[in-house]
Amino acid sequence: MSGRKKTLLKVIILGDSGVGKTSLMQQFVNNKFSHQYKATIGADFLTKDITIDGNKQVTLQIWDTAGQERFQSLGVAFYRGADCCVLCYDVTNEKSLNNLSSWKDEFLVQSNVSNPQDFPFIIIGNKIDVDENKKISSLSKKLNNITNNQLGGLNYPVFETSAKDAINVESAFEVVAKMALQQEELNDANGNDVSDDYNDAINIHLEGDSGNCAC
Amino acid sequence: MSNMNLTVNHNRSESGYSNNYSLLEMYGASDEEDKEEIDDHHQFDNVMEEIRANSLSSFVTPLNSQTIPKILSSDYDRYGFKKASLHQTITRKEYNEWFTDYSEYSLERMKKWKDLVNSSGIKYDDIPTRFPPKSDKTKKLIRRGIPSEWRGNAWFFYAGGYERLNKHVGVYDKIVKDTIGVKNKDTEAIERDLNRTFPDNIHFNNLPKDSKSVKDPKDIQDNDINNKPMIKSLRRVLVAFSHYQPQIGYCQSLNFLAGLLLLFMNEERAFWMLVILTERILPKVHSRDLDGVHIDQGVLMLCFKEYIPQLWNILGKNFEGEVISEDKILTKLPPVTLVTSSWFMSVFVGIIPIEAVLRIWDILWYEGSKTLFRFSLTICKYCLDNKTFKAKNDNDSGNTEFEQIEIFQFMQSYPKSLIDPNKIVDLCFKKIGGYGFGSISQDEINKCRIFVSKQRDKMKKKSLITNISEDERKMLNNDEIHDIYGFNRSIMNGVKWNNNISNKMKKRFSRKTSK
Repeated sequence: MSGRKKTLLKVIILGDSGVGKTSLMQQFVNNKFSHQYKATIGADFLTKDITIDGNKQVTLQIWDTAGQERFQSLGVAFYRGADCCVLCYDVTNEKSLNNLSSWKDEFLVQSNVSNPQDFPFIIIGNKIDVDENKKISSLSKKLNNITNNQLGGLNYPVFETSAKDAINVESAFEVVAKMALQQEELNDANGNDVSDDYNDAINIHLEGDSGNCAC
Repeated sequence: MSNMNLTVNHNRSESGYSNNYSLLEMYGASDEEDKEEIDDHHQFDNVMEEIRANSLSSFVTPLNSQTIPKILSSDYDRYGFKKASLHQTITRKEYNEWFTDYSEYSLERMKKWKDLVNSSGIKYDDIPTRFPPKSDKTKKLIRRGIPSEWRGNAWFFYAGGYERLNKHVGVYDKIVKDTIGVKNKDTEAIERDLNRTFPDNIHFNNLPKDSKSVKDPKDIQDNDINNKPMIKSLRRVLVAFSHYQPQIGYCQSLNFLAGLLLLFMNEERAFWMLVILTERILPKVHSRDLDGVHIDQGVLMLCFKEYIPQLWNILGKNFEGEVISEDKILTKLPPVTLVTSSWFMSVFVGIIPIEAVLRIWDILWYEGSKTLFRFSLTICKYCLDNKTFKAKNDNDSGNTEFEQIEIFQFMQSYPKSLIDPNKIVDLCFKKIGGYGFGSISQDEINKCRIFVSKQRDKMKKKSLITNISEDERKMLNNDEIHDIYGFNRSIMNGVKWNNNISNKMKKRFSRKTSK
């Protein structure tokens, strides 16, 4: 056994094409913004080491994906093992908001997570730097409607960000990291529980046998 | 009318599924669209004027003793790309060092090409429109690079562009006319990608001043960038294409292909080259189900297994470290295909430095799709052989996921630094001092494609396969599994690998690993 590796948390960013997934990732990982990002083909990822709650060192592995619908057929390979899923929309694009639940469903189908009911999702509305009049009208009402009716009223954290002006990006990903760590610990616990139970069962049996002998 | 429709349907173009523009007069004879004619005519005339104006301008700076120093002192290369941008890992200094040598090489290439063209009895003024017939000599010259000034014409000639264009005179203009003002899901996606195609190219963006947000769709409407002739051309080509090939519509990455073509030829030609590429070289790769991506990546994985077994030892597993069995290669592609599928879809545009892309495109139009596999293998093997990667990999060995993530990341970043196209081309083709992937034949690739495609069809038909659980699969014994999948233990029964190169690679690897 090699030494224990730093906890690796896998985060998937999903959302319609052009909502700013690449920009969000770049802003968080490299603290930069550019107008010159190209459309993402396939998938790409970056990693960042961060500290959670002042003492837990983790590596976030953030996957940026292609937003065009047809690319979902390639997604299977990397959704698996995800610890948190970020659902993005563009605050100026109502369609991208309406598609959040399809992205969630898509993720759950492809990732095959063990706890779809309480798997950590987070919602990010990007591009709040744009003029107020360009934003979706009565956004909060529509967003509420979607979280309540389509996303199962599960109170997913919602952040409004600007990848361009670095507003709220850091705090959103802090929450992402915390949620991902929780999920990872939960998975570990579940995984260990299963094997522990199994081991215990054997141990009890063995202990019983050997106990008898020893006595 | 019904008669006419029948005729039209019978005369669909050779792709089998394109919107029919093969009988132009008949198509035009339909008078349903006459109502808004006047407005449309006016718009159409303007558009045609734009198209013609654009076709006169060349976007490649010719190389000569006056231009070379200018290119050296500029921030941009001869195609208008920023020498050092966030898409490349190369610095301006590194670029100039390379370009100083490569411009000399290019001038020398131009001489060789002029000799060949002259000796073939081809007359031309400035740039030839016809090129020497296919021969060993021509192939050799192609592999060493077509002069950039001649590239557009040479690509078009060798790809069979003239044949296509002559059969479809006026069709592009007609499609452009038909698609003026059209709005649908595809055009929406195209709009979003126009400014995200070559943001680091002066012809596609207002560089270096770049203060306005280009991200908001409404913003884009007002933005100057949108009125750039190149952006307008790109829009027209992509919209026309999505209309002409409804099975494909618009697929991200087509923007890179059309964008690059437009730097070398006019819109109409770029349009037909895109049609040829998606029909003949990359069939179904951009289709709505990306079926061709799955097929070609399956073939590439089989090639890895056959020709770079050492790489396959790392990549041919899922993240849990479980070896992907032969029957599964074709259903669940390994994670690395997320990297390599974009190489195919974009034909290396944005993956490796521009001059290397152009060199591969030279060969691709002349030699066909095997070129993509040959160079993908070359780049992968070159990544694997890299010292930095090897050192990293040794430290991490033992954990499949880390190992795979490591190579995933490396394969995504390292190709961007491959500034010397001659190095890549030599590695690909040279038998001594290279990998000799030039021996992989088109026949081999074609057979693999048919094989993978057939297997996928079989699996799709047998819903049993998709619904079968891991436990159920284990319960079936080996023979039954192979029976279901329709192949025996030797997966490539129908395909003869090139034993010569295969054995050579295997020997080389066994030597290396035994060291």
